[in-house]
Amino acid sequence: MIAADVYKKAAEGDPKAIEKICVATWEPLYRFIYYKVQNREDAEDVTQETYVKTLSYMQKNKAPQENFLGFMKTVSLNIIRDRWRKEKRGGVLVNFQQINPAETAAGDQQNAIAQRLLLEGAMAKLSQEQQTILELRIIKGYSVAETAKLLGKTEGAVRTAQHRALQALSRLLDDKELQDQKGEGSC
Amino acid sequence: MSKNSAEEKLSNYIDALNNEQHSETADTANDPELEKLLATARLVRSLREPVMPEDGYPQKLARTVAGEVQKARQNGQAAKSKPKSVKGILPAMAALAAGLLIFVLVNWLGPFNQDVVYAMEKAVTQLSNYHGILEMRTKNAVGEEWLVRQVELWAEDDKYAIRQDDGTLIINNGRQKWQISHNDREVALLPLLPDHTRNNFDLRDEAKRAKQYPHTIVGSELIAGRQATKLAISPPGGMEYYLWVDIETNLPIQLQTAMQNALQTTYTFVSFKPNTEIDPQIFTYQVPQGYRVVENEPGQLVATVEEAAAISGVTPLLPEKAPIRILAFQDRIIFDYGDTTITETMPKGDFEPAANASLGVAAGGPLEVWWDRLRWRQNGLEIQVEGVQRLELAGQIAPDLTVPNSNQDLVSKAQVKVSVDKELVEADQKQVDRGSSPWQLDPLQVSLTFVNLKVTPEGIQGEPEIPMSSYKVVANNSAEAVVEVGHGPIERVYLKRLVRQDETGIWSVVGYDPR
Repeated sequence: MIAADVYKKAAEGDPKAIEKICVATWEPLYRFIYYKVQNREDAEDVTQETYVKTLSYMQKNKAPQENFLGFMKTVSLNIIRDRWRKEKRGGVLVNFQQINPAETAAGDQQNAIAQRLLLEGAMAKLSQEQQTILELRIIKGYSVAETAKLLGKTEGAVRTAQHRALQALSRLLDDKELQDQKGEGSC
Repeated sequence: MSKNSAEEKLSNYIDALNNEQHSETADTANDPELEKLLATARLVRSLREPVMPEDGYPQKLARTVAGEVQKARQNGQAAKSKPKSVKGILPAMAALAAGLLIFVLVNWLGPFNQDVVYAMEKAVTQLSNYHGILEMRTKNAVGEEWLVRQVELWAEDDKYAIRQDDGTLIINNGRQKWQISHNDREVALLPLLPDHTRNNFDLRDEAKRAKQYPHTIVGSELIAGRQATKLAISPPGGMEYYLWVDIETNLPIQLQTAMQNALQTTYTFVSFKPNTEIDPQIFTYQVPQGYRVVENEPGQLVATVEEAAAISGVTPLLPEKAPIRILAFQDRIIFDYGDTTITETMPKGDFEPAANASLGVAAGGPLEVWWDRLRWRQNGLEIQVEGVQRLELAGQIAPDLTVPNSNQDLVSKAQVKVSVDKELVEADQKQVDRGSSPWQLDPLQVSLTFVNLKVTPEGIQGEPEIPMSSYKVVANNSAEAVVEVGHGPIERVYLKRLVRQDETGIWSVVGYDPR
């Protein structure tokens, strides 16, 4: 719990107060951002920018002390969105579909858990071989050559199999979302 | 798109994710099916534990954030403290012109050209700090090599520290600059003047030069234990030199000059750690016990323009943009913008532009354009703007600012044309590059020699008949110049920089007007 005077001092630029806030909040914020950008360098940059922006809002009394973390997550999403816009102009493709500031703030943790359950459920419906290939290639991060060696397949076969596994997973997730939407509609 | 290429692209994309790289590799060519698969791969990857930052990250984060907040507050205060009477409204046209100029330059230089030089420029921009040991070695024409100097460097934002061979430390922490000499047991407080060049191998300058001049990749070598790409860089009309760029960090790690005067110098970062942990104590001003302090007009960091005016006795002219820092000295004020500085002083004597400078117009008078420096007089002040934002900031102070146009024809109206031997000029340029005959860089000296040789064709003996005080540069657009001669058989001399049209290019007489 961060005391009210710490927020005030941080807004005034007091390094000790800023450090207190960073130490108390950086990890969940960093994890949240990492989940969106999927690489450490960007996650560190966006985390830093988020604190600087949040403190500037605090100086103008525009940052709530209650649900401070939720507020920072929303700020970070706006930063990611701005970066995406800039990078898009430079021809870089970044996923934007998952970025929805309205989702964040208080309910984000629940959303993240629900999304994880949804994903794990869909993964469980894949064939054993498809699950293994996605686990080795994406979750454990093995190269195509290493995965091929572990599974006794050619590299070409690994590429084809991971392509098919992701197609199947994508379809399962679409179906699940459709069902959920239908379920919500019938209530 | 074929199925194979989609599989390949998806696989490459997964590799990029696994290697913690950005998703630039994902060229989906607007294929919604492939985009969906990439999104699904990212979703699967979210089941993996994030790669966490290094130990001490929250403290480092807090320090950086505190620094940024402080900087923003200073900017805000400086902006608020600006007296309205000092400056008018931002000249929108100047800003628009500057914007257009940047747009044109950026496109001309090819920002999307993802080569080594572009990656280096990007890496230099993203460099937040570094610690390294820079070695300077010299080799003579017979291949003998020796170590000239080795310095240890720490740099972070605008702060830096340099430890020389003899242990002398020079430190600039942005608020103070001092030198600790252990031999003399002395701490000398130095003027807090922004200095853009801290050593002879400035990473930012080298990245800029490499981008500016034609360059080719000539190989890959191991330098101080790091694999590096070797670039050959060829300044127009100059001698080729080499730059090695670290493959891992994309930062320059070695520079080798061309062999000049039978000597060739190599600067190498024998140790280099970019974006590392630097002990903040290194930038803290401390006088070791038993050392005496010597003060050399260190200047003062002030918060407001009024404060600066009271200390310096100078009533400054301010651009619209607020500076990061304001420094006040007894007779001058410096506005520091990080990469650019504005110095305003009470003028002494007549305004005399450097003989080799090009000439423009500012505040209705002459504007000296010399390398990346602009200098002129306005409202009883001498103003000098130096650095990358010089045009934008100077234009905000002097709305009529006009830089010389190097395409403007100055020499074709010469009544008598002088033919020039291109090969001879190129050889002369190389001589000057090696440090010989520097007078050829000065249009006044070149004119003096030309005119006096017309008067005394057998050669100049002793004092020239028509002395230097008779010559005046009346136009110089950096490519061409006109010099007026007070008396004698020639009234005007027309000159051109035939090899290179910057401050390192020699002048040649291409015509004259007889009196």
